Parts: sequence; structure tokens; C-alpha cells
Amino acid sequence: MVRKIQIGVRYFIFSVILAVGLSACDSQKTELIPVADFFSYAEKTSFRISPDGRYVSYLNVDQDQNRSIFVMDMDASDPKPVLVSDTALHVHSYFWVSDSLLLFTARLDPEEQFQIHAIDLTDRSIKPVLPPSSARVRFISPVYSNRHEVLISLNERDSTVFDVYRLDVQAGKKELIARNPGNIIRWFADLDGKLRLALASDSVQETMLYRGSEQEDFEVVMRNSFHTTVTPLGFVKDKKSHIYALSNVNRDKMSLVELDLETHKEVNLLFSHTEVDVSPGGYAKSKGSMSYAYYLTWKRDRHFLDDSARVIFEKIEEKLPGYEIRLIDESWANHRLLLNAFTDRNPGVNYYFDGQKNRLVKLSDINPGLNELELAVMRPVSFLNRDSIRLHGYLTMPNNAQRQNLPVIVYPHAGPSDRNIWGYNPEVQFFANRGYAVFQVNYRGSTGYGKEFWSAGFKEWGGKIQEDITDGVQWLIDEKIADPKRIGIFGMGFGGYSAVHAACFNSDLYACAASYGGFTNLFTHLKEIPPHLKPYLQMYYEIIGNPETESDLIKSMSPVFHSDNVQIPVFIAQGGKDSRSSVNETNQFVKKLQKRKIPVVYIVREEEGRYFRKEENLISFYEELGKFFDAHLKK
Amino acid sequence: MKTQRNAYRKNYLLVFAFAMVLTVSLVVAMILASTLTTNKVESEFSSRKGEVLEYNLLAFNDFFQNKIPEISFYQGYLDSATASTLSDTILRNHPFVERILFYDILINNHVATQYGFAANNLVIYPIGVYEFSLREDNDVIRDVKLHFDHQRRRHTSIDLSDFNNMAFKFSSFLERVDTNRVAYGDEVFRVFYSVTPGKISYMNIPRNDDLKTYKELMDNSNEQQTSYEQDMFTFIINPNNLKLENPVPELYQHVEIVPLVYDNVNLSPDLMVTEAPMPGAMADHKILLSSSRTFLASEINGRLYPIMGGILLIYLFLIMFAYLIYRNLFINQRMYKLQYDFINNLTHEFKTPVSVIKIAGNNISNAKELSEKERLLYGRILDQESDKLNNLMNTLLSFTQIENKSFKLKNEHVDLHEFCAKIEAATNLKYADIQLECKVEVDELFYTDPVLLGSVFQNLIDNAYKYSRPEDRYLKIHIFEQRKSVVMTFTDRGIGIEKKELEHVFKKFYRVQSQYNQQGSVGLGLAFCKELVNFMGGTIMAESEVDKGTVFTIHLPKE
Repeated sequence: MVRKIQIGVRYFIFSVILAVGLSACDSQKTELIPVADFFSYAEKTSFRISPDGRYVSYLNVDQDQNRSIFVMDMDASDPKPVLVSDTALHVHSYFWVSDSLLLFTARLDPEEQFQIHAIDLTDRSIKPVLPPSSARVRFISPVYSNRHEVLISLNERDSTVFDVYRLDVQAGKKELIARNPGNIIRWFADLDGKLRLALASDSVQETMLYRGSEQEDFEVVMRNSFHTTVTPLGFVKDKKSHIYALSNVNRDKMSLVELDLETHKEVNLLFSHTEVDVSPGGYAKSKGSMSYAYYLTWKRDRHFLDDSARVIFEKIEEKLPGYEIRLIDESWANHRLLLNAFTDRNPGVNYYFDGQKNRLVKLSDINPGLNELELAVMRPVSFLNRDSIRLHGYLTMPNNAQRQNLPVIVYPHAGPSDRNIWGYNPEVQFFANRGYAVFQVNYRGSTGYGKEFWSAGFKEWGGKIQEDITDGVQWLIDEKIADPKRIGIFGMGFGGYSAVHAACFNSDLYACAASYGGFTNLFTHLKEIPPHLKPYLQMYYEIIGNPETESDLIKSMSPVFHSDNVQIPVFIAQGGKDSRSSVNETNQFVKKLQKRKIPVVYIVREEEGRYFRKEENLISFYEELGKFFDAHLKK
Repeated sequence: MKTQRNAYRKNYLLVFAFAMVLTVSLVVAMILASTLTTNKVESEFSSRKGEVLEYNLLAFNDFFQNKIPEISFYQGYLDSATASTLSDTILRNHPFVERILFYDILINNHVATQYGFAANNLVIYPIGVYEFSLREDNDVIRDVKLHFDHQRRRHTSIDLSDFNNMAFKFSSFLERVDTNRVAYGDEVFRVFYSVTPGKISYMNIPRNDDLKTYKELMDNSNEQQTSYEQDMFTFIINPNNLKLENPVPELYQHVEIVPLVYDNVNLSPDLMVTEAPMPGAMADHKILLSSSRTFLASEINGRLYPIMGGILLIYLFLIMFAYLIYRNLFINQRMYKLQYDFINNLTHEFKTPVSVIKIAGNNISNAKELSEKERLLYGRILDQESDKLNNLMNTLLSFTQIENKSFKLKNEHVDLHEFCAKIEAATNLKYADIQLECKVEVDELFYTDPVLLGSVFQNLIDNAYKYSRPEDRYLKIHIFEQRKSVVMTFTDRGIGIEKKELEHVFKKFYRVQSQYNQQGSVGLGLAFCKELVNFMGGTIMAESEVDKGTVFTIHLPKE
């Protein structure tokens, strides 16, 4: 009997070792993650914190896309979400008025008009504030003016312009305090809730307007063409006419400055980075001061201007090592923050942090279905292009694969006035999971690296921008990372244009090209701008080219004229309602390719815009895309 | 009658019938091939004109389907300069385009003009009309037909009917269009293309959003003042400038473009004519294709000869097969006859000794008593005749064995001097009256099967003895080396063999008709020798002169 047990134990140990060994072998091979998992969206969105930091609120999206407001009392030892809105109401947006008062817009069903409601947390009562109207509501921040007064903007008078009203929540009355002449795109209130700053735009030139008090008229402070930008962040506490702003007036990089709107002068340069622009963020609305300057090199970085903020961030980073922290909402005055922590392999987790108690509470996962270990690491790379300019980008290698001679998908970003950033990217992870290295590059014309770098991409859509992408690929080949015979290119919008452009003019470098909502004809792209918007048109003519005087340039950059050069398989996905491309033209482009026996996968969804929204369309698109690359890059 | 069924027959009627069927079917096949080919060529003459049409329209279709829609790609941004470069390439690459009219069109909601078309609030009018054509010196010339220059306007006399037609179609399309649709398919063709004989008009197809805007401009009077550009082209097509090529030169002698109403008056009966009407903008012309009958006849012949050749080849094969089958049957028949003869001979050969033995046996048993002399005689007779039978059977048996290769060589090293001495002694014992001479010039040991070689020698000696006159029985055996083989010659002074018989002497059951072999010859001796020599890897030959003697030469390899 004893002997038998011994044998049994030995057998057990052996089988455990065997099982562990087998499972270790299994993990060597990356499992294919279903397409839908990469692109699923969070159920809990629009997290906000109450002005005193005690409550956390969010919108819960149920299976029928009904949105309702939940509130958690974070002072409780075990905070539980409590439904505070009416489930019969479909919430559109909401915000905090005071520590116990919430405003939200909602409607009974999608056919009805929106109505503003108020929730009083003290007795959980919901009452309508204004009668239902077809006007849309925008909330103006900061809003903590009075216990029951709030600034809102409504497009009641004219559907195209938003006027500003002061709404008395208790009385249910609104009072017009600023009439929009038609060109004001943003309003700013000072720390007392007075409307004293506005930003006007004709789409090209931005004008900053200021007044000393609500009784005075707005006066023009400065005008900026589209080359230069001044972005107000908020008013400076105790200095009536000073604001914090990001500005690249008279300098190449966006920098954090303090402006005096009375004298129209920049009084203080708070922070500037030698390589990159400073990004919006770091203004503590509850304190009227800057906690930090926020900037993006290969990853996000902060330059602290407030020691208490630095201490709090140090505490958070101690608790969440290796994570990047994004601030969602704050109550700096009470040391309470809402954060989102993420990595390249984690779409993000929302946390509540209490700086005084040093307490971190997990609120929700953005995409809990993904396993971090199955995703691929994204690492920054940089190289010199043919003009000896250092370009930055990212390279994501598939897991469990050799580091050399890989099939590569080049993924130029949209825009081109945009940039790639470090973090979770569903497309990148989707490709990496299917065994491809993914290469992203911030080519000339990308934003974030200063004015000069950005404007270097003007009229170079088919020129230097494409050269930069090509140089990046060449670098990958020289580094022996890419298998020169298995390089594909995929992009959305401008990236899709780059892919089709590559198919026309760079068939030797790439094995196949895929475009999602890419433009094929820049004449059509420019035609989108109504001719009476002359300044806007001029801006586009400066960025892309003038279709009348430079029609040869536009023609040479537009793939639709050069289908005869395409030698590689092409994948094109387009929505029928994409205003920047015409289905008729894409049809012709595709027909010409088919006539020349070039393999083409062509997906048209008539009901969709440039990018697909319907889930089934999205999923089938990505599945087809995966199949396309598997067919042409895994030979 | 029954016996005939199993015997070999020759049915000449059958052979004749076969030949007849063969001939008749050949003739029918030839006639059929000729008729079918003629019909096929004639029907192809009228059916393959589509191919000619398609081939010659390739350039035009490319122009119509690919070049013209490309105008839309410019989205109305073309002005007279860019239109000029565009026209330049079109005129140079497509000679059938004679002239190009370019209308730079403005669509707006605030200008009143007499050169234009107004629908509600929408005004469509040309701000410039330009004509491009290719001069004889290959330069493109631009002719300004109409040009608005701020206030001033200059124009030559101009027919704006194409423009008005397009503007009317476009505005009525705007009135009914549902701008939520994505593609318009056929409607695009009806509205933005206008194809009449000699002319194609095309206006760039606006994007959906533009259509929406135009529609709004048309319907609402209080919209913002704005204007949009559209481009329209009219291509004047001259089919006579189409470079006509003949992709089917074997069928059509002449290919030409003629007006649709053209009627060929001098129609000779020798001329075959067919025509293909041209589509679209060239519909007032047709392609006329013609060939003379003699031309077609040569084409028919050109196709017929290979077919005839094929048929003849098939018949040639048929005849060859028939001959081979016949030859096979003939050989079988001869074999059958030989075997029949053999059995006859053999029966005879066996019968003689058997009947002698039987008579001897009868005589012995019937005699009351036998004298000493008689007993010896009968003893000798019985002994001789049974030997004869035994020999006969041995020969037969070994012969079949060798023929079936169920026999193995038992080679050993033989001293040819010793071997010949033995043969000489044995022969002298057997035939007292033969004069045998042996000359051996090989000193090395010879590797061979001595029994088989002995058999060969025995047979040839027997043969020499048999076919010699009794008074001159002589045989000379000469053995010598020649390169890698040993040669043995057997020279006698016998009766010799006639030349026409010489080639048959080594065949089985073949006997030379002669007085010397009336008894005791089966016709196997030399055939047996040949089989043995071949079996040992050598050859045997015979040379002979009648009444002088015969020489048999054997070549055996040393190894």
C-alpha cells in the first residue's frame, strides 16, 4: 500500500513536470488573438472627479449603447458605483457644477430633442433645468463659479454658432452673456467664472480676444496665421490679465509661456524643450497654476513647476512602475487625481489616486480582454534620412520571432499633420500578433517637432514625405531587420495615400500596399474645400499645392493618374461617403489595375465615411487586411 | 469440309472488299474535308469582321474609356493652359481626334449672362472656349473662340449648341438627383457624356458633395455668393483618320473605312464583300471588308492541304498495319508448314529403323533355328538400328534444350592438339574410308565447353562424309588464331552446295535435295551446329562451289 502511494506520487510529479514543459513549449508560439479583441471599446467612459475630489463619476455604456451616469463615493472604505441618472434617459454628456451637483444632457430616445437635467447628490433628485431644445450644449471650463451658476454655450440662435449663457441651475434660467459674431470657436472663463477670453478663427488665422470684465467689449490681442499657434491653457491666479499659454510665436518649438493680455506681451518663458513642442496639459484649474509642462519625446515627459505635483507623481510612479501616466481629471487643491496608466502593451487602466492618503484605487480597464504578455513591445528608433535630418519612429517586433529578416509592415501615420506616439495602438498590435514587424516613422510634415519640421512637409506630399518613409525602410533593410522581399505598407487617410503612392512609384521596395480611406486624387481632396472659404483654400494650397497654377505638381502626386506604374498587389478600403475621395475615381483606379491583371482587393462600404464605424464592417475589414498581408508577405 | 475449317485459308474476296472499303472511305473523307473547309472559310469571312472591328477600335476604346474619364480627375481645375497640354497629348496620340473644344465653365448663383444657361438660381456659363487642333507641321494650335476677361469679352462666331445641350442635361439631372446615393452608374453616362456621330462631349463628373452644393445653389436664392468651376470637352472625331490595320490578312484582302451610306457600285461577281458598322461617335462610318474569290480559294487550299495530308497519313498507317498483320499470318503459316514437314520426315526417320527392327524381330521369331551367321546379322541389325533411334532422339532432345536455353555451358581449358587427336582417332574408327587431316596452330589452352565443341566437330565430319563421293572422302580441319578469336575451317572435296541454297543450309529442317541424303537425314545437323556455335558466342559461315567442295568457317572468341 505504501509502495503504491510512492509510485503514485512519483507519477504525479513526473506528469506535473511534463505538463509544465508542454505548456512552456506552447507559449513559444504566439496565439492568434481574434481581430475583435484589439478593437473593443471600454464600457465605462468619461471619467470625471468632483471639484472636492470626493466623488468619481463615469458613463456606463450598456449593450444597447444606452449611457447612464454612475457615481462612486471615494471616501467610503469600499467605494461602490451608484446609478444616479434615470435609465430611461440616454445621457449624452455631463459635468460637475459643484461638489454635489451634476448637469447632464440627455434625451428619451434617439428621435427626441436633448434636454439639460441636474442631479443633486444630496437627495439624488433629478430635475430638468431647461425645456427640451434642438440646440446642442457645450460646457465651458472652468465652471466652478458659484454653487448653482454655470457657463454653457448653445447654438440656439443659429445652428452654426455657439453663444454663451450663464445658467442658473436652481432657478432654471439662462442669461446671454456673449453673442458669437460667428467666428468664435472657443470661450474661456477666468477663475471667477467670468467670460473674458475667446478664440476666433477663420480656419486659417486665429485671433485671440480679451476683455477686462464682462461689461467691456472684447478686444483683439493677437492674430496668428496657421504657421504660428498660441493655445491658451488657463488664467493665472491673482493676476487678472495673465494667462498660461503654449506659443510658438517667434520661435520654432511650442513653449509654455505666461502672457499679459493687457500689454499684449509675453512676460515669462516657463518651459521650452530643444527638440519637441510642449503639449497642452498640466494646468490645475482648481489652483489657477501650472503643475507641470507636458511634452512628448519618444514618450511622454513632464517638467514639474509645482513641487507638490512632483511629489504626488513620484508616489504614483512608485505604485505603477513602468507605466505611463495620463491625467484624466484633477482636484489638485485636494491632492486627488483621476489617472490613466498605460504601456505599449496595455491599452490602459483608470485609477483614482488620493495623494494625502497615498491610496490608489483601480477603477476600470480600457480593454480587459487583452493579455499584456501576448502583445508586442514597441521601441523607439531613429535614423538619418538622405538630407541628414534625424527622424524618429517606432519599431514593434513580433513576439517569439527572430530579430532579423522579418516581414515588415510600414505604417505611416495619417495627417500628415500628426505624429506617432508611444503607447498601445490596436493596428500595430494586430499586425505584430500576426507575425509582422511594424515600422512607424514621424516623417517631415509631422507635428510635435517644431514649425520648421512641420512646414518642411508642405507641397512635399509626393516628395520629401515619401522619401522619408522610403529612407526609413532602407534603414530597416540596412539594419537587416527587414527581409527586403517581404515589406508591405499600410496606412489610413494620408497614410493610405502614402501606401497607394508607394504602389505607384515604389513598386520595387514593397511587396504589397494597403490603403484604408486613403486619397487617390489630390484634386478631389482639394475640391472638398468650398471655394468661398478663400483663406482656408489658400492654406491648403500652401500645404498641398495650387490645383490651378500647379496642376502638374498635383497631377504628379495623385496616384489616380499613375495606375500604369503599379506592379504590386493593392488593397483598397473606402467608405462611400468619404468626402475627400470619390468612389467613382477609386472604381476607375481599381478597374485599370484589374485590366492589367494586378491583384486587387477592393472593399467599398457605401454607408460608411472615410473610416468604418459599424463593428461588423470594421471586423471584416481587418480580417481581409490580415489575409491580404498573409497572402503576399508570408510566401 | 470440316477439315478445311482448321486448315490455313486464303480468302481473296475478303482482301478485295477490304481494299474497296479503304479506297471508298478515303475518297469520301477527301470530299468531305474539302467541302467543310470551303464552308468554314466562307463563314469565317463573314463572322471574323468583328475581330477586325475590335482590333481597330482598341485605340479608340482606350481613349473613350480611359482618357476621357481622366478629365474628371482634375475636378474642374483645368484652365486653358493645362487644357492645352492635355489636348496636345490627346491630339498626338489619337489621330482620329481632329479637333478639341475646351469649355472652361463657371457655375454660380449671381451672374446674369447671355452666354449661358440658367436654371432657377443656378447659372452655368463658359468663361472661355478654346479650340485645339494639330497643324500639318505637327504643332498644336490654340484658337480662342470665346474669352471673358473681367469686363471685356472677345469672341469669334461660335456655336454653343454642344455646351447648351450639356448644360441642359446637367441642370435637369441636378433637379432630379438624389445626392445621398454614392455612385450613379448608367446615369453618369447619360448625363456627362454626350455621344453623337462625329462628336463626343464630356463634362467632368462632380463629387457627391459638389452635386449637393449645386443643388442647393439651384434651389435657394439666399445662399452665399459663390462660384465653382467645371470643365467640358468636345472631341471632334474623324474616323477616316483611324489607322486601319488588318489583323486577319488571310481572310480579308482589302479593309477600308467608308461612310455608312456608301454602296459599292462596281461589284464584280468575283468579289466577296462584308461590312461592320462602327459604334458610338463613329456610327456614321463602317468598315468595308472584301476579298476576291481566287484569294479565298488560295486560303481554302492552304488550309485543305494539311488536312488532306493528315488523312493520307492515317490511311498509310492503316495499310501498314494491314500489311504487318498479313505478314505475321504468313510467317505463322510457314512455321506451320515446316512443323508439318518435320513431323512427316521424323515419322519417316523413325519408321525405317522401327520397321527394320520389326522385320528382324519377326524373322528371328519365325525362323526354326538360327545359323551362327544369321544370329550375328540380326544382332548387328538390331544394334545398328537402335543406335540410329537413340541418336535421333538425342539430337532432337539437345536441340530443343539449346533452343530453349535450358542448357549451361561447362567450360574448361582445352588443349586443342589433344582434342583434335581424339577426334581424329574416333573418326578413323567410325569411317574407315575418310582421309582426315588436322592442322592445329594454337598452342595455348582454349577455354570452351569440349562436349559442345565435340558435337560441332562430329556434325561437320558427318556432313563431310555424307556429302562426298565414296571414292574421294576428304576433310581438312585447320585451327588457327585470328586476333581475339580462334578460327576453325572445315574444307572438304564434296559435292558442294548451290549458291541459292547456301543461305538456307543453317535453317531447321532444311535439306538440300540430293541423292546423298535419301536416308537418315532430318535437316537438323547444320541448324544444330549453328545453334551450338551461337550459344558459345561464336559464328559459323559456309562457302561452297558445286562439285569442288565446301568450306565451313567457325569463329569462336578466346575469352
